[in-house]
This record gives sequence, structure tokens and C-alpha cells, in this order.
Amino acid sequence: MKNLYYVFKKCVGCKTCELSCALAHSQSGELSEALKEIKLSLPRTTVFAATGENYPVSCRHCKEQKCVSACMAKALTRDAATGMVLHDENRCVGCWMCVMVCPYAAIRPNRKIKLPLRCDRCKDKDQPACVKACPTRAILWEEEPEPKK
Amino acid sequence: MKQFVIIGNSAAGIAAAESIRQNDKSSKITIISDEGYAAYCRCLISYYLAGEVSEENVVYRPESFYKENNIELLLNKKALSVDADKNRVTLADKSQIGYDALLIATGASPKFPQGIKGLKNKGVFGLRSLKDAKDISGLLPTVSDSACVLGGGLVGLKAGYALNKRGLKVKVIVKSSQVLSQMLDACAAGLIQSKLEENGIEIVMGADAAQILGDNQVKGIKLDSGKEIACSLVIVGKGVSPNIDIGKEAKLKCAEGILTDNHLQSSVSGIYAAGDVCENIDVSIGKTAVNALWPVAVEQGRIAGANMTGKACLYDGSVGMNSIEFFGLPVISLGVYEIKNDAASLEKLEMFDEKRGIYKKLILKEGVIIGAIMAGDIRNSGLFLSLIRGKVNVAVLKDKLLLENFSYPHIAGMTKEKEQMYV
Ligand SMILES: Cc1cc2nc3c(=O)[nH]c(=O)nc-3n(C[C@H](O)[C@H](O)[C@H](O)COP(=O)(O)OP(=O)(O)OC[C@H]3O[C@@H](n4cnc5c(N)ncnc54)[C@H](O)[C@@H]3O)c2cc1C
Repeated sequence: MKNLYYVFKKCVGCKTCELSCALAHSQSGELSEALKEIKLSLPRTTVFAATGENYPVSCRHCKEQKCVSACMAKALTRDAATGMVLHDENRCVGCWMCVMVCPYAAIRPNRKIKLPLRCDRCKDKDQPACVKACPTRAILWEEEPEPKK
Repeated sequence: MKQFVIIGNSAAGIAAAESIRQNDKSSKITIISDEGYAAYCRCLISYYLAGEVSEENVVYRPESFYKENNIELLLNKKALSVDADKNRVTLADKSQIGYDALLIATGASPKFPQGIKGLKNKGVFGLRSLKDAKDISGLLPTVSDSACVLGGGLVGLKAGYALNKRGLKVKVIVKSSQVLSQMLDACAAGLIQSKLEENGIEIVMGADAAQILGDNQVKGIKLDSGKEIACSLVIVGKGVSPNIDIGKEAKLKCAEGILTDNHLQSSVSGIYAAGDVCENIDVSIGKTAVNALWPVAVEQGRIAGANMTGKACLYDGSVGMNSIEFFGLPVISLGVYEIKNDAASLEKLEMFDEKRGIYKKLILKEGVIIGAIMAGDIRNSGLFLSLIRGKVNVAVLKDKLLLENFSYPHIAGMTKEKEQMYV
């Protein structure tokens, strides 16, 4: 299964990934239009500057799936075939239990529309938008390493 | 082939059944439930009552789930007793079921205050089951437009919110000096209270119901001050108590809940407990407690289930926590949320931005976070929970913890999280 990894030394904090992410998840796909959308598309990836360097943060689709266990509306489920954590917006009640338990703070509340935002790896595309957009190639889209023993 | 029996068909029971099936494809699993439905999302019944969630979206596991996983589901059957010597459960209809391993996942029931007259009147409800929500909902067209909720805890406020959404005038009667006294300090509680009041829910503070008025049908309540309030619907939200009767009778060690070890086994070998009925270590207070929460029930169920099949899985305790949102204000509480005046060794970090409606507080003990409240900005709650669970010393990060840009990279490598993010 592929996951997103960040070569933090290469990240210059330009936030192109955030922008491309928001665009890719907008209804129109056009920046000028996307900015006007009521259900404003917010980035699922966030770049933080910590200790002088830049670190993007995104959902890991963890094996431990704390968010799936915590989801009291059964909106979050783990897809056995792809290993991805899926979110059903129709079932979600915006209780923020997933935000409460995510140890990476990679699930962000979009309070306007009462839905959590998290990386869906641009599910129906072959490559996440942020990977394509990153000007310094700091984002890798690679097979997960074997778990450390 | 073994026979696994689970009493209780909800968060803990389902997680256990799934976990047993994962480890053991062929043994028999029987779930006993005294309710009439396949598993549903108990926490959503107030949303259902509010009309915000359909009955279809309340379903947690459809009937097909039990077939697919070869689980026998006995509905509308109450387990009466457990014979721990003969490994047998007796049901109310006198039938008996033998087991190799038993899980007690009977949850909790609403507490009804003792000594109040009129609690049996028509129109008085707890809010614990889908049936409760349906009964209340079914009554709404026939009652007057005002309701009283007794208790300002989570369930009380959620009930009040739901009835407000359904167009009723709601008064919440709160005995203590603040709402949500089991999860928030006065400051955060004040923010919530203002939100509720702005939206038409009245909070009557420092008062308790002394009597429910009316002969057969509720006509109102009488407060301890003598004041009377007219209403035709009363919801009792005075907390819950774990359903430990079966366990107690089977001589399992109990405190508030059924006491369990780090495999979630009770004091009697072969009998496990999980969920709202289970008492185990609370990481933030360092003592045993019942943390009656959906995520805790799921995790305990999963671990208990694995252990029932003989796979040794350790349970490392829970943290009391909760997340609520009323009228657009999200609040999350984790662990120890208040410094009681006797605790000189505790340290408090806090910020309050009244304009933006943001309040954040952390409580530290010897450099380790043991509790947090996040109101208006809940984004980093998961990081704090992870730091609490990992008992991480954050002394070096103290001045950063409550900053806007505090984030996972600041603590990467300090907690127990295993997933890789950076190369
Ligand atoms: C309105 C409401 C809102 C809530 N909101 C939240 C929230 O926001 N966050 C949160 O974390 N938690 C919340 N909770 C709590 C959460 O629902 C519980 O922690 C969770 O359901 C516990 O699961 P459980 O499996 O231990 O027990 P339960 O869900 O209580 O299930 C136990 C089942 O066992 C059955 N049973 C009991 N005794 C017997 C018997 N002798 N024989 C047969 N069957 C029996 C019961 O009828 C019940 O069906 C809320 C609860 C309510 C009622």
C-alpha cells in the first residue's frame, strides 16, 4: 500500500501542497471559483514550521485506526482491501471524536460544514495532487516500509 | 470448537465479537441483548430525537453483519444470572447457555434520583436507548410545548438540545454551579452555557427537582426552592450507573464497575468485562475508574475479545475524555480538567481569547500533561491525548504547547506513535 512521506529537509514551506490539495478537493477545480465555494475546500495537508524546519502533516491511514474506533457514528471505516480509512460524509455528525483521538492532529475540523478534513490520498486519482504540485519534490508517494520488528 | 457468549450488543459487545471472529473463524459466538434491535449508535439517539439523523444512519451493524460473521444474536432476551462454577448463563426465559469464555458488556443505565415523587408519571424519561428516543419522539405531538431536563451533564444537555431543535421550550435544571461539571471547568462551562442560552435553552442553576407534579401525567416539576415549573415532559439526565448486577451476583470483584485486570479479565477466570460496565486503570488519575465512553468501550471490547480466544493482548488503561459541540462551539476535555485546591504539585497553562471565543488549558504534573480543555479551537486535542497517554515529559515544550502553530512535528518521536511521516 502506498503512503505519503515527506523529505522535510527539502520542504521550503511554500504551501503549494496545501493549495493544490484544496483545489483538488474543491467542486470547480479552479482557484478563482474554488475560493467562492460555500463549502470552502480546505487543505488536508498542512505544513508546520517546527524547530526551524518545515514539516507537512497528513493522515497516516494508521493501522491502529484510533479514529475508526472512536467514531460513534460509524462514518469512519477501514477498507480491508486498500487499507485506507474511509469517511462517509452522509453518516458523519461532526462530533469531533476523531479529532480528539488522532495522535498526529492530522484530522482537522472544518467547523463551517461540520465535517472533519483528512487526507483521502486523492482516492480516485492515480497520484495525490500534492505530490504532483510540490516544486521541490519533497513529497514521496511510495510503498509503505515493512513494519519495524 | 469453543462457545463464546457476550452479554450486551453494543459498542463493547460488537468490538469483542469482531475481534473473536478475526482470531477464530469457526467457534460459536452468541450475543445476548435485552433490546430489540441490531446494534445501533447509542450516542446518536439524541441526534435522532433532534431530527438530525435518520433511523437508517443510527444503525451500527445491520442484521446481515451477524449472518456474515456467523454470530448468533438473541434479541429481547435478558441474561438473569451467571453460574461461574458451571460456566452457564441463565436467561429470563429460564433457558441456559454454556460458555468457554464470557464477556459481560452490559453497559450502564440512567440513574433516577431516589425519593422524588412522581418519577413514574407518564412523560418522565431517561435517554439511554433508541426506544427511549422513539418513545419521547412519539409523545412530542401530544405534549405541551415545554420540557424540563434534570441534570446539566452531557446527556442532559444533548437531550435539551434535541428538544430545543424540535421546537420545545426547554429548561435545564442544574444542581451544581455550572453545566458539565464532570468534564469541564467553570470557564469552559460558561462558554457552553452562553451558547445554549443564546439559542433559547434556559439553564436553571443551583436548583434540584424535589417533586414531579401531576397524578398520572406530568404537569410540571417542583424545585427544592419550592418554585413550580409547568411542563409535560421531563428528561432525567442524572448520570448513569454500570449494570453490574449479574457480575456481583456471580461474585466478581466490583467497585463502581466490574474490576478487570490488564487483560480485561474479571476476578473470575474466563469471565471478562468491557465498556461502560468495566472498571480499569485511568491513566490520567492513576487509579481505577469507569470511563463510560464509546471509544473506550470499543477498544476494551476488541482487547477482551482477543484475550477470550487465548491471544494475550494487554490493555493499558483509558483516559476520561469527551468531545461536544453545541451551536457551533466545539469543546474537548481530556483527563484531569481542574486543579482542586489541595493539589499544589499541579501546574496550569492557559490562554483565553474572549473575542474569538477560544479557551485552552493544560494541567501538568511534574512536567507531564495529565489533562486538557480545548474550547473553540480543538485542533491539537489528539496531540495532547497522545502526550497524556505516553506520560511524556513536555517541560522543554512548555512555552509552545498552546501556540497556534503547535503541531505534531514538535512531538514527533516523543510519543509512542508508530507510523512514519518523515524521511
Ligand atoms: C444520549 C447519549 C449520548 C452519548 N454521547 C457520547 C459521546 O458523545 N461520547 C462518548 O464517548 N460516549 C457517549 N455516550 C456513551 C456511550 O454511548 C457509551 O459509552 C457506550 O454505548 C458504551 O457501550 P457498551 O457496549 O459498554 O454499553 P451499552 O451501549 O450501554 O450497551 C449495553 C447493552 O447491553 C444490554 N444489556 C444490559 N444488561 C443486559 C442483560 N442482563 N441481558 C441482556 N442484555 C443486557 C443493554 O440493554 C444494552 O443494549 C452517550 C450515551 C448516550 C445515551
